[in-house]
Amino acid sequence: MRKIVLPGDLISTNPKVAGYGTYVEGDKVYAKIIGIFEQADNSIRVIPLKGKYSPSVGDTIIGIVREVASNGWNVDINSPYQAFLPLGENPETKPGKKLNDVLDIGDAIIAKVLSIDPRMRVTISMKDKICRAIRFGRIVAINPARVPRVIGKKGSMIKLIKSELEVQIVVGQNGLIWLNGDRRKVAIAEEVVYLIEEGAHTEGLTDRVGEFIRRRKDVQT
Amino acid sequence: MSRPDKFIVDGKRLDGRLPDQLRPIKIEVDVLKRADGSCYIEMGKNKVVAAVYGPREAFPRHIQDPSKVVVRYRYNMAPFSVEERKRPGPDRRSVEISKVSKEAFETIIMKELFPRSVVDIFVEVLQADAGSRTACINAASVALVDAGIPVKGMLTSVAVAKVDGTLVLDPMKEEDNFGDADMPFAFLIRGGKIESIALLQMDGRMTKAEIKDAIALAKKGAMEIYNLQREAIMKQFVEEEE
Amino acid sequence: MPEDILVDIKKDYVLAKLREGERIDGRKFDEFRKVEVKVGVIEKAEGSALVKLGNTQVVVGIKMQPGEPFPDTPDKGIIIVNAELVPLASPTFEPGPPDETSVELARVVDRGIRESEAVDLSRLCIEVGKNVWMVFVDIHALDDDGNLLDASAIASISALMNTKIPASRFGLGEDYELPINDLPISVTSLVVGDKFLIDPSRDELSVGNSTLTVSVDRNDNIVAMQKSGDYLLSEALLEEIIEASIGAAKKLREEIIKQISKS
Repeated sequence: MRKIVLPGDLISTNPKVAGYGTYVEGDKVYAKIIGIFEQADNSIRVIPLKGKYSPSVGDTIIGIVREVASNGWNVDINSPYQAFLPLGENPETKPGKKLNDVLDIGDAIIAKVLSIDPRMRVTISMKDKICRAIRFGRIVAINPARVPRVIGKKGSMIKLIKSELEVQIVVGQNGLIWLNGDRRKVAIAEEVVYLIEEGAHTEGLTDRVGEFIRRRKDVQT
Repeated sequence: MSRPDKFIVDGKRLDGRLPDQLRPIKIEVDVLKRADGSCYIEMGKNKVVAAVYGPREAFPRHIQDPSKVVVRYRYNMAPFSVEERKRPGPDRRSVEISKVSKEAFETIIMKELFPRSVVDIFVEVLQADAGSRTACINAASVALVDAGIPVKGMLTSVAVAKVDGTLVLDPMKEEDNFGDADMPFAFLIRGGKIESIALLQMDGRMTKAEIKDAIALAKKGAMEIYNLQREAIMKQFVEEEE
Repeated sequence: MPEDILVDIKKDYVLAKLREGERIDGRKFDEFRKVEVKVGVIEKAEGSALVKLGNTQVVVGIKMQPGEPFPDTPDKGIIIVNAELVPLASPTFEPGPPDETSVELARVVDRGIRESEAVDLSRLCIEVGKNVWMVFVDIHALDDDGNLLDASAIASISALMNTKIPASRFGLGEDYELPINDLPISVTSLVVGDKFLIDPSRDELSVGNSTLTVSVDRNDNIVAMQKSGDYLLSEALLEEIIEASIGAAKKLREEIIKQISKS
């Protein structure tokens, strides 16, 4: 079993190695969240098992438009903070086209976090090629803390799902995941995502997922 | 309830406990679906449930702090939680308990990580015995960890009372009502050790030396409770593994 | 609550002085500000006191009336402490029902009086289970220049010592003095890092609201404690503060007795 640590657990006496999920006081490094303790060559970190999504610049996220303003859109990104998508950051904006014809309340989008100011006002952009308005496929929601496991080491888990099921998959760092493709295969992919979420702290997950997919495909064919 | 003639007979307390013994404790984690973190605790006959929501957007907006998260704590007793029906809503006692408990949690929550947002801690006392505020803090502490909120460490709370000149850990109702003093604590526990005091109240009559002894006794009890809190949190992951 | 803009300016000054081991008004770390106690200032009240602690001013009035005892103490009088932090006393006080600060203040003052058994409640019984004297202690803040709590506690016990039970008004015989057994003193310290300042002034409180209140009876017993504010307290500092509070309480008690007996 992987080592789970709790806030306040002393995990190192070398402040130089302190990574994600830790904090330093004096020469001591403590965990600040509940998570899996991970040690690399010169860094230690705590991979969260619970908690809300806290945006960081460059993150790919999936959001839902909550408000159409005069200069852009307010977007719920499943975090303590709403994000703002300015007019100029949406390539679909055209002169003369009304804002709510481009994106309306309730529309889902894939976007990237462009900037965050010190007061946590989040600006997002749709200029990257991965970004789009979502008009088909399925969106599933998982605990944002488990996103790293769905992606896997260097994207291994996503690659596995894509190659085994031939579905499109975009994992938002904020815990929302877009799946698109054959309806039955998307259904399997959704189950797989939940399986990973449930077993995020366990070992041998990739093998179990691979086996699960193959078994499901057999049942369907 | 009337005042017992003696609180300690043959070294044992009215409920059979030794002076330095806690009441039985039961802790369950993640008991509520809607909350971001939750915990149910029984400490003696206390039955309390804690829920943590957040960090989430702070409303009404004027309560927002541009530089850090706002912490709210609501201690509430259900009308049926005590012998005689309690009128619903906050009374002065609940207001005070909520205030000092909130301040205790403010010492461990990493507030600057979530400006403009709020963390709500709600604790409901479903059945009150003595020491409901300590049970609530223990539950809230677990619920905060369960919500994945960044904190310095865990809070563990316990009271010490003085009866018949003897200090007793985790007082029961009779000791609380008729004892000579009552002293609730909450400690910050870090690196497996009690580090400092996050909540402290006292009423009754104690000498300087007795207070020193009371702290030592409370620390002993708090470590035992801390281990149970820890065990309860870890248990969810062991079960999933099977 | 809107904060005074001067707070930030004062804060640096207080901390700079503190680093030199001094307080901005030159007091010792365990020294109360100058206290002035005047009793009997409100004729319509059964007892009253106006207390000045430095520039902090509080008036307490005592009203009494017969009433039904609590079922669990049928032969004892009832004492009820209430505090109103009226907007007149500070730009940060707002009108409305008591907020958590005034509730806490009243309850901590109450505990000091109750736990020291300063008022002999057993001598306030008129008819067991039916009729006892109810003592209402109403704290009215006039000017909050810091540490309203200790000022309120001094005013409350002084007013109680000044109280005559209005028996004749209720046809219960002759008026007599409220029986008082103790003179508890509440000592509030502002905690700043590993230092503490007894009886902090408003300016000193600009550095924060981390306080510890220790109430001491005349035999040097601790009868109530309250940690207030979001700070972590070490065991060592707690012991230091208790020790200093006992000493400060003793001095202040003597001063109050001197002033009351003069007036």
